[in-house]
Amino acid sequence: MSPTRRLIRQTMTIARRDFVATVFTPIFLLFLFAPLIMVAFSTIGALGAAQAADHGTDRVRIVAIVPETAAKAFAAADRQSRAIFRRDEEPPELVTLTPTRDPAAQARAAFESPDYDAAAVLYGPLDRPTILYGARGTRAADYLAVLASGALSAERLGGELPQVTPRKLPFSRQRATLGGQNQTAFLAVFGVFFLTLFLAGQVVGTMAEERSNKVIEVLAAAVPLEAVFLGKLLGMFGVAVLFIGFWGTVLGQVTSVLPPAFAGMVGELSPAVGLPMFTVLFVTYFTMAYLLLGSVFLTIGAQASTMREIQMLSLPITIVQVGMFTLTLSGLSRPDGWLALVAEVFPLSSPFAMAGVAAARDTLWPHAVALAWQALWVALFVTLGARLFRRGVLQSGSTRPFWRRKGV
Amino acid sequence: MDNQWAVSASGLAKRFGDRRVVDGVDIAVPTGAVYGVLGPNGAGKTTTLRMLLGIIEPDEGQRSLLGHAHPRDASDLVGYLPEERGLYPAMKAREAIAFMGALRGLDWRVGRTRAVELLEQAGLGHAADTKIRKLSKGMAQLVQLLGSVVHRPKLLVLDEPFSGLDPVNQERLEALILGERDRGATILFSTHVMAHAERLCDRLAIIAGGRRRFEGTVDEARGTLTARVRYRPRDPDRVTPELLPAVAVRDGPDWRFPLPDDGIEPMLGRLLAAGAGILNLSIERPSLHEAFVRIVGESVEEKAA
Repeated sequence: MSPTRRLIRQTMTIARRDFVATVFTPIFLLFLFAPLIMVAFSTIGALGAAQAADHGTDRVRIVAIVPETAAKAFAAADRQSRAIFRRDEEPPELVTLTPTRDPAAQARAAFESPDYDAAAVLYGPLDRPTILYGARGTRAADYLAVLASGALSAERLGGELPQVTPRKLPFSRQRATLGGQNQTAFLAVFGVFFLTLFLAGQVVGTMAEERSNKVIEVLAAAVPLEAVFLGKLLGMFGVAVLFIGFWGTVLGQVTSVLPPAFAGMVGELSPAVGLPMFTVLFVTYFTMAYLLLGSVFLTIGAQASTMREIQMLSLPITIVQVGMFTLTLSGLSRPDGWLALVAEVFPLSSPFAMAGVAAARDTLWPHAVALAWQALWVALFVTLGARLFRRGVLQSGSTRPFWRRKGV
Repeated sequence: MDNQWAVSASGLAKRFGDRRVVDGVDIAVPTGAVYGVLGPNGAGKTTTLRMLLGIIEPDEGQRSLLGHAHPRDASDLVGYLPEERGLYPAMKAREAIAFMGALRGLDWRVGRTRAVELLEQAGLGHAADTKIRKLSKGMAQLVQLLGSVVHRPKLLVLDEPFSGLDPVNQERLEALILGERDRGATILFSTHVMAHAERLCDRLAIIAGGRRRFEGTVDEARGTLTARVRYRPRDPDRVTPELLPAVAVRDGPDWRFPLPDDGIEPMLGRLLAAGAGILNLSIERPSLHEAFVRIVGESVEEKAA
């Protein structure tokens, strides 16, 4: 058997053991369904908050203290203007009151009304109205001003505003919008970051098991430590793929029944390299991000001798990931700047940045170069991790550097 | 490939910090032999074995494992039981054995089948599907030992294999070692229990203070000490000092003295001629234990000097 084939076989043996040991445990179910727990709590929280908010907004009103003659025009202007808002973005409902002898006092009294919560109250002549508004009522005040303008225009035009009947036709553009590409780039970077943040950090403690139960001696005698490190990395990557595959399938089913508005939003995602190639590159860059960050975390975690030390590593690990994400986003905002180049070249941020590049630029050769560059760094990190482990933990280290050793 | 030696090394040295724990060890294990590496605690036995297997790299010296200059190239042909036993606690015994075989290139399915057979032979058939964490320490140790032979290695390296085993399991292990030898494997094991070495080893090396102090057969090791003679005359009154060696010591009715260089016969002839007679005569060959203590003791004295 060739050394390469043997190394692959040894690596896969370690990977298989780690994958099986992780997946076939009750704890894995907890891990797999953790997002569901998060979603359940979020949903409950959101529903409660929405209910409370709905209950509050139900009672909010904008009030116009206008003569009866103007009230009709005011209502017509409201009907016309309100139509351009989405349902959840509509201004508060309009209430019109007939002015008393002191409209100013009446306006102030409207804020104290037990029947509704006034957001803004308009009184006075329509060409120079006074609008009082409460907290967060400036938009409502502006809206009342627009209604006053509409009502006044209708009054001057003989009672009604002119009707316009537009002919609206949908149009599909042939090329992706720049906005869509930027949005896709951001989502690509965020997607890779989000997934690695949750999944790559798990690798940090995997060598602890072998160290605590002394299996490392058996492994180190049978296979090269490079195979142990890479195997562990691939085993945990397999777990991550299973996790993503499961939730990808679930979300795929959920999105197919989502409203058309959401589908339209997804349609706006228009990567420069085309959706099929973008999908391939996204998956590949996620893989590279996982392997790169995972190999660094594995190297560091393998040096930790207790679980406490490993737990202490979780904060710096998260900071490193967020740092790479921030660096990439900074580069994304100036695609031709030096920061973008740094993000694309620096090994740990390269997969994030290049996922963004796939969304924003249509040339493919930089991806081939980037993937080769990233793969090289994975190999370097794994080799370095194995050497550090051999030297530090297996005590293979020597006071003499290797070039001064005799006859080995 | 040099078939004569399964393992050979010359001038192996290793430092940990400023301490030279192995200091130029030479070793040559004949193919097909049971070879013991003996030494007191901290002698450098484990470090030597780890260097021979390529787990750690020596600072100096050369080594060859089954004809390969790089021990890693022969890893599929080697079985190893480390001094610090270790298995995954959540694995079933059968899986643990198959996994250890898979690490050495054995197909998982074949490994599982052989694991059941080996467990049956070792009297642990009932534990095939039991998780390691539920086995006793001795049982787990046997499982690990079976894992180190499941791929039928050409060389089996056992580091202190008898420690932690009860006498019954020690006998089982001895039988297993001899079984592996009969299969054609070379066995290299370290121990500081002389009885096992005396029973099993074809050849042995004694390491102390990081250096090899002796290499040879068990008999040769015992031969490093002079045999002792215990003599009881029939007529003690006829025994005069000039008939016995100058160093002879009276011990009740007996005389004790080292076996003379020219053998016992000339002295017996003189005693019989003088009419002392022989009521009891025994020549006690030194045990491996005594030889070991003497060899190791010399190394300690040398170090102190």
